[in-house]
Amino acid sequence: MLAQNTDKVNIDFLKDLSGVKNADDLEQIRIKYLGRNGVISKLFNQLKHVAIEDKPALGKNLNLLRSEVTSQIEKLKSSFVSQKSKGDLQMDLTLPGKKYQIGSKHILTQTLDEIKSIFKEMGFSVHVGPELESDYNNFEALNFPKNHPARDMQDTFFISKDFLLRTHTSPVQIRLMENMKPPVRAIMPGRVYRNEAVSARSFCMFHQVEGLYVDTDVTFAELKGTLVSFASQFYGEDLKYRFRPSYFPFTEPSAEMDITCFICKGSGCKICKNTGWMEILGCGMVDPNVFENVNYDPEKYTGYAFGMGIERIAMLKYGITDIRIFFENDIRFLKQF
Amino acid sequence: MKISLNWLKEYIDLEGISIQDIINKLTMSGLEVEDFVNQNEKFKNFIVGYVEENEKHPNADKLTICKVTDGKKSYQVICGAPNVQKGQKVVYAPIGTIIPKGNFEIKKAKIRGVESFGMICAEDELGLGDDYTGIMVLDSNLKVGQKLSDALELNNVIMEIAITPNRPDALSHIGVARDLTALFDKELKIPEVKLNESDIDINDVASIVIEDEENCPRYSARVVTDVKIEESPGWLKQRISGIGLKPVNNIVDITNFVMFECGQPLHAFDLDRLEGKKIIVKSTKGKTKFTTLDSKERELLPDTLMICDDKGDVAIAGIMGGENSEIYQDTKNVLIESAYFNPSSIRRASKHLQMSTDASYRFERGTDPGNTLYAAERTAQLIAKIAGGEIAKGSIDVYPKKIDNKKFILRHNRVNKVLGYKISKQHTLKIFNRLGMKTTELSEDEIEVTVPTFRVDIEREIDLIEEIARISGYDNIPTIPKISISLGLKHDETLFTDRIREYCNALGLYELINNPLQPKHFAALTGNAIEVSNPQSIDMKYLRTSLLSGVLNVVTRNLNRGEKNLALFEIGNIFNLKKGKKVVSSFNDFDEEEILIFVLTGNKIEREWYSDTESFNFYDIKGMVNSFIDKISLDNLLNDSYYTTDNSIYEYYLTKFFKDRVIGNGGKVKDHVLKQFDIDQDVYCFEFNLDALKEIPVVSKKYAELLRYPRIILDFAFIFDKETKFEDVSEFIKNKGSKLLKYVNVFDIFESKEIGDNKKSIAFQLEYYDSSRTLTENEVEKDFENLIKLVSKKFNAKLRGN
Ligand SMILES: [Zn+2]
Repeated sequence: MLAQNTDKVNIDFLKDLSGVKNADDLEQIRIKYLGRNGVISKLFNQLKHVAIEDKPALGKNLNLLRSEVTSQIEKLKSSFVSQKSKGDLQMDLTLPGKKYQIGSKHILTQTLDEIKSIFKEMGFSVHVGPELESDYNNFEALNFPKNHPARDMQDTFFISKDFLLRTHTSPVQIRLMENMKPPVRAIMPGRVYRNEAVSARSFCMFHQVEGLYVDTDVTFAELKGTLVSFASQFYGEDLKYRFRPSYFPFTEPSAEMDITCFICKGSGCKICKNTGWMEILGCGMVDPNVFENVNYDPEKYTGYAFGMGIERIAMLKYGITDIRIFFENDIRFLKQF
Repeated sequence: MKISLNWLKEYIDLEGISIQDIINKLTMSGLEVEDFVNQNEKFKNFIVGYVEENEKHPNADKLTICKVTDGKKSYQVICGAPNVQKGQKVVYAPIGTIIPKGNFEIKKAKIRGVESFGMICAEDELGLGDDYTGIMVLDSNLKVGQKLSDALELNNVIMEIAITPNRPDALSHIGVARDLTALFDKELKIPEVKLNESDIDINDVASIVIEDEENCPRYSARVVTDVKIEESPGWLKQRISGIGLKPVNNIVDITNFVMFECGQPLHAFDLDRLEGKKIIVKSTKGKTKFTTLDSKERELLPDTLMICDDKGDVAIAGIMGGENSEIYQDTKNVLIESAYFNPSSIRRASKHLQMSTDASYRFERGTDPGNTLYAAERTAQLIAKIAGGEIAKGSIDVYPKKIDNKKFILRHNRVNKVLGYKISKQHTLKIFNRLGMKTTELSEDEIEVTVPTFRVDIEREIDLIEEIARISGYDNIPTIPKISISLGLKHDETLFTDRIREYCNALGLYELINNPLQPKHFAALTGNAIEVSNPQSIDMKYLRTSLLSGVLNVVTRNLNRGEKNLALFEIGNIFNLKKGKKVVSSFNDFDEEEILIFVLTGNKIEREWYSDTESFNFYDIKGMVNSFIDKISLDNLLNDSYYTTDNSIYEYYLTKFFKDRVIGNGGKVKDHVLKQFDIDQDVYCFEFNLDALKEIPVVSKKYAELLRYPRIILDFAFIFDKETKFEDVSEFIKNKGSKLLKYVNVFDIFESKEIGDNKKSIAFQLEYYDSSRTLTENEVEKDFENLIKLVSKKFNAKLRGN
């Protein structure tokens, strides 16, 4: 009985629905079927009289009917709203699809993500630290004594005598080693500050990723291997590279890694100052003084560290010539990536 | 630093080695050649020309038509210089020549109707000097048609080498040559000094006292009498102008020459102007003023090292001399200062005075305390040779605490342990010996290396290992393509923020990154801002105290560019001084917190074929915030409060609490705040404190049984007083409803005349279910009817007719 009634109500409803011309008609139909004393409510009332074993199936059917009716009414209702004055709209499949916006990460975040995932696969963990740092963590513990010309390499914004805006993410290395015994293998991404005049080539703030690996038998040869592997994953397999001696107070020996200029492919151009090479990162073996500052035994442990600037990498990779555009946050720029 | 290849060749035989090879080896050993100019290449087309005729240009007052010959052929050349004359030997640039200044090519031209084949050049156009007032007139003895580079010996290569701060020993031609001897296995030739001394004993004409031995460990001097101050000879001028220095007079040029030869800064005093013919080296006691030879009065810090005579200060040690004791045209007797100063003392003074001279640059990095006497004598030798004069007998060399060569032990096995490859002992010894270090083999594994005083950077075994690595070449160290992975180390402190970024993107938001350095009125808007003591500009003097002002500034910038619809987010750190603190002297004086901000402004949907324009409103930001909270599984842990007053930033806003702690806050930004940013459309922001969010213990998710029995959905609508809050009603319904009532939602809300002024209709949908059985219509109906009564009564509401 109830089952047949259910079907009949469904058929009646569809018939009624086809006669609907406007929102008022629709509201009448809604009350007739879904109202508190409406047709469907009455059907539910009949449910008490059916045999107990039939109840679940019939109940389910009734619920189905109600949700079907509800959704049909809603559908029609929204079409009354959106059609508005446009009248009956023939299906025109060539109309543009509706717009959905997915958003995106900043291109610097995307670049960092790519770098991060390469090192994470190599077993590096990821650590962060504060931007407002102590002079000790930023300089002294990293073997930059006070009144040493090496400090000129990193023009610094000072907050007070002993506090500053970190000039590199290396203080995170200190924090990490102070809190952890070797082996340590980590990368440290973050924002750093340099008191340099703002221009197309340099900004007072930028982002770095540094890496650190300390264990009993870490060698320069492994450092080279790790970085060459990183560079060929990031810049391409058939990459040419070289390691050049350099100087950083917290590593000894220190090096800079160059890869073939990908603007001129090594023949020399303005970007690479006619050398055919492009510097991509600095690195070296952790200086024993740094180990002593964090109570690691420099006889027992060796380690390597490296660091690279994300803006520089993104500029090279995406052909951006003015660093300032990263921080203007023009929505047209943000949407490009 | 500029290094001249011809000059280098005085100290090392580079015969048969190509320029490119030299440059590569230097760069690959740590003396990076950043740039170089090969004069041969640069001047290859210029030739010595002879002006055969000159006559005035018929159509231009200031132009001259010249006939210039290269000895074989004559060319018609239009010249604009006032000094061109028939009979002069000049620099002729034929067609096709590239002019160094401006880097342009000479082409056949027609100037005011007369053809011109080439150009007669001025000094500045060639980059050989500053003179641009007229053409360069050459020595009349030069051969016409000769290449200019041959005629003027412009066959040099000038390299620009970046010397790292640890290598002051390489700040000279001998220093660079020494590395080259190790790189190419050659001998270093240091000029020998033999002096012809006069009968005058130096001790009779001068004396030196060091009062501050700490900051002046050594002071050596020589005296040369009866000198004649003149212009330097050509070779000397060429040497020093080649590396970018301006020739002054013979004495000054010689001191510069010796500094760039061996790295020791020198100072020449007019001995007769030194009161008491005496030098006293001491530090200032209090604040002192001193007028340097550039006629500027400068204020000195206490404890600044000074060179004084009997009467007073004559020079700031290691930085710059004073006006009173300089070399003048009438100077006869010269005292040559060649000292070793404590690097940090010089650096402190030069930083304070913001003066960096060639001398202070070397002193603050560390000069060679062992070389002062040699440098003084080398200078005396050259002065006597070039400026005449006689070298007084003997030298004064005050050296209270001798600084010895250092000795370190190098273990071969350690080299292997650090670098990861073995290098032969023989090769190792050779590298050290070429670099001027003596070696003694102590055992199979160990050698003792004696490091001369000029290598201030070598202080440990590891520094010796670096020398081996850099001279033998980093390229020779193998590249090991594998590393061992220690398990259990994996940890990523950025995972949470990475996840957040994904969710923000899913909400349709774009990430922005702002500069945390701001002007005061931005930073002060939202907190107790921390000031940068040495800012770059007033616009970047403070650290942001929230992300809000930076983000509003981005809104302004985009509006100005016609971009009015923005949905953005930023994750970044903010900085606030703690209450009652004025300065940062410990980590307890300030808070640095990581914040997430959402920003919505303009239209969510622009006018489209399927929709009218829809602008962002409060419910968009609220919805995003709640979806976000849901996604990070904190939806059941946080409480909301709503406010419409008492906030300096928001007109109305929502605050999210975890227990008592505010973890997020935001709403519609007040108009008067927007006005400060020139924004004339509504902006909605919400800031989360991510540090606080991270601290909330997250309950790990558990699977919830899926529904197996049907739900019953019922709805009703009431007419309420207008001020009735949805949440009050919905909470009431939830509380009063039976256990089976699981969900209450609002699906319609409106006001209209028909239902009365100050009234509104809210329609609710109620969802009932039980996870263990099918509900009967009856039990639900009973609860539903009961709720209708209760709501009507409690809120004085009228059930809408259906
Ligand atoms: Zn290039």
